Amino acid sequence: MFFGKREKRKLLYWFERRLHASPLIELALHKKVPVHKHSVWYYFGGISMLLLMVQFVTGILLMVYYVPELGSAHASILKINSSIEFGWFIRSLHSWGANLMILAVFVHFFSTYFMKAYRKPRELTWLSGVLLLVLCLGFGFTGYLLPWDEVSFFATKIGLDISSKTPFIGELVALMLRGGHNIGQATLSRFFAIHVAVLPVMLMGLLSLHLAIVQAHGMSAPKEFNETPEDKKEYEPFFPDFFLKDILVWILAGNLLFVLTMLCPWGIGPEADPFAPAPIGIKPEWYFLAMFQFLKLIPPMVGPMEGELFGVLLMGVYALALALVPLWDTGESEARSKLATALGVVTLLFMVIFSAWGAMS
Amino acid sequence: MNYPIWIVPQIGGPWVIGIIAIIHIFLSHFAVGGGAFLAVAEWLAYKRNDSRLYDYVKSHSRFFILVTTVAGASTGVAIWFSISLVSPDGTASLIQSFTLAWALEYLFFVGELATAFAYYYSWDKISKENHLLLAKWYFAMSVMTLAVINGILTFMLTPGRWVETRYWLDGVLNETYLPSLVIRLLIMFAIAGMYALVTATRIKDEELRVYVVKFCAKWLLPVFFLGPIASFWYLSQVPQVTLETIFTGIQSSGVGNFSVLARALYLSLVFSGTIIVFAYFGPYLNPKGFTFKIALLFMLCGFIATGSTEWMREMLRKPYVVYNYMYSNGIRKSQVEELREKGFLTQAKWANATNPVKTDTTCGEKLFQYQCMACHTVDGYRSMKRLIGERDEDSIVSFLKMMDPKNKENPYKGIMPPFAGTENEAKMLAKYLAGINKTNN
Repeated sequence: MFFGKREKRKLLYWFERRLHASPLIELALHKKVPVHKHSVWYYFGGISMLLLMVQFVTGILLMVYYVPELGSAHASILKINSSIEFGWFIRSLHSWGANLMILAVFVHFFSTYFMKAYRKPRELTWLSGVLLLVLCLGFGFTGYLLPWDEVSFFATKIGLDISSKTPFIGELVALMLRGGHNIGQATLSRFFAIHVAVLPVMLMGLLSLHLAIVQAHGMSAPKEFNETPEDKKEYEPFFPDFFLKDILVWILAGNLLFVLTMLCPWGIGPEADPFAPAPIGIKPEWYFLAMFQFLKLIPPMVGPMEGELFGVLLMGVYALALALVPLWDTGESEARSKLATALGVVTLLFMVIFSAWGAMS
Repeated sequence: MNYPIWIVPQIGGPWVIGIIAIIHIFLSHFAVGGGAFLAVAEWLAYKRNDSRLYDYVKSHSRFFILVTTVAGASTGVAIWFSISLVSPDGTASLIQSFTLAWALEYLFFVGELATAFAYYYSWDKISKENHLLLAKWYFAMSVMTLAVINGILTFMLTPGRWVETRYWLDGVLNETYLPSLVIRLLIMFAIAGMYALVTATRIKDEELRVYVVKFCAKWLLPVFFLGPIASFWYLSQVPQVTLETIFTGIQSSGVGNFSVLARALYLSLVFSGTIIVFAYFGPYLNPKGFTFKIALLFMLCGFIATGSTEWMREMLRKPYVVYNYMYSNGIRKSQVEELREKGFLTQAKWANATNPVKTDTTCGEKLFQYQCMACHTVDGYRSMKRLIGERDEDSIVSFLKMMDPKNKENPYKGIMPPFAGTENEAKMLAKYLAGINKTNN
């Protein structure tokens, strides 16, 4: 419109001399996406990214008004919800966005797991993805305390008490996170710093690595697709075909987020009173609920071991086996492949059933 | 107050009307916009001398006829059933005030049906020019039905000079008539494009599919460019009090009070915006990748956008069914003073006839059914059990007194109708309401 072809070429050349971006553009233009019946799962990585962006933007806006100080934290959230123009909207976007993001990351996790996308040469993609999931849960855990209301206070207290049961490092980590033996100003300050600085930096680094490896190896495809003769395999270019569909999915994900935000704005409970008894029925956020419910079922003592310690150990070993799946299911053994699938199904069922049970009990 | 009451548990009567009406509107808007689509698409097929496009239009017309005449007409009848059961006073008032308008609407509707069937059954049987002429006639007839219905719908929010003259044309040609007509036409074209995308994505010939899908996407362009202008025009004509309710709702959304109207507005804006962006990045920029399943999803978005917009329009006139004339519970504004003096139960014939025992609680229940149930249910939508909570009789009576029409400080003024009954009746209603959490547990 404003530039002719010649001017455009000159402008592109100017940028190219300074950025040397043509290899990246070439890579993007030649990137192709396998088309098969499980292609729909590819979108969840993109959805997680979109929701992460929402978290960054809304998080920065919330920081303008949020005060991480014991006497002001709750009041500042109340102010955001009631006095600041559209403060309720930004906060609800942040809270709903966090929950949807964790859900999308879980779906992404299980879809890549069941598609065996962790196998050679994508072991590091998988491991970086698992770490990203852990970071997302860390975001959820640290962010939950910040409003300093009754539920968040006691849920955090229970969460820290459980994590302190982790052998060797548990007590030390819990002590460092709390900044002492009780939850107070030091805890709030530490959680705030971790939530807005430590975790974002770690996440950005790890995410960059994750995305770089994904680009290097291309999109993984399920076994049936890989076994199809080359001339019958169907691909679509990432740019613009898949990317435009990605945008449609983002629009729908954004739509869901807006609808939840507007129909059910995120509220806030009464201010936390550390000296008050814990209210009945305190539960952690839904993504920790399955583990919480599982721990509740374990008797106080399992043999010579404390029940909670036994539960934490059991879940730790189980999670480690899942995280290290690329090392023992390399695709060479059919039996191990089936075992990995079975483990995934059990994990998924465990999470759904125990979360629902926890929510209802 | 002079008719039997229809008790719909959990969702309440208004949502029965609402659900049927939203489905009907999504179908009937297709019936109008789809007429224009058929005419333009057929004209385009002749202009391009494209037999493949001609065949597509022909098959689309079958889908069109089935959807609009079967589903559209049956939901239209269902609306009449539901409104006469849920809001008999309001329905009676609309029939009596607009007898001639309804007759006109029926006339055009018969014309619409006749031309629709003539159009469908005359493919390849009459000349191209005459067939195209039938499409144009169909569109003209359907627009005329819209023109009449739009007058009655907008009358309910802005009755215009009808309040003084009681002349039906003064009611039809009210302040919001024209902006609403423009908005509806724009939406109808967009909906026509959405429905056509469903059939277009089934075309096997890829080249034709890409062409038709992109063509369908262009039907959303008018609402994209003119929709915001028409919406501002519409909002500039609605009563000032209603606008204030919207702004109060927006300001207090985070707290959750009085914000249903604001939330309906947000939903309408979000889904309308989604549709426009979706149409651009989907069928317009990537027609090849726009599949049948995505088209269905897109239509679902359109349905939700229509639903939330119509919901918002309904909420705008609260607490009236006809603005400044009749409240949602069928009580006319002019009747309130008389009912507060003489009592509601002495005047409400059917309420009396169906209440043989006449204790304070049964009278209170009748008052609840006739004055509150137009918007509330006992334990479902806008549950009274939840809203009453732990309130006792005295606090409920104080609340009812606060809703006195003369009380300028009443915060529920633009949201709830005043209580139309004597002090003793207020106590009866309070007694019933204070007991619902105890007796029905």
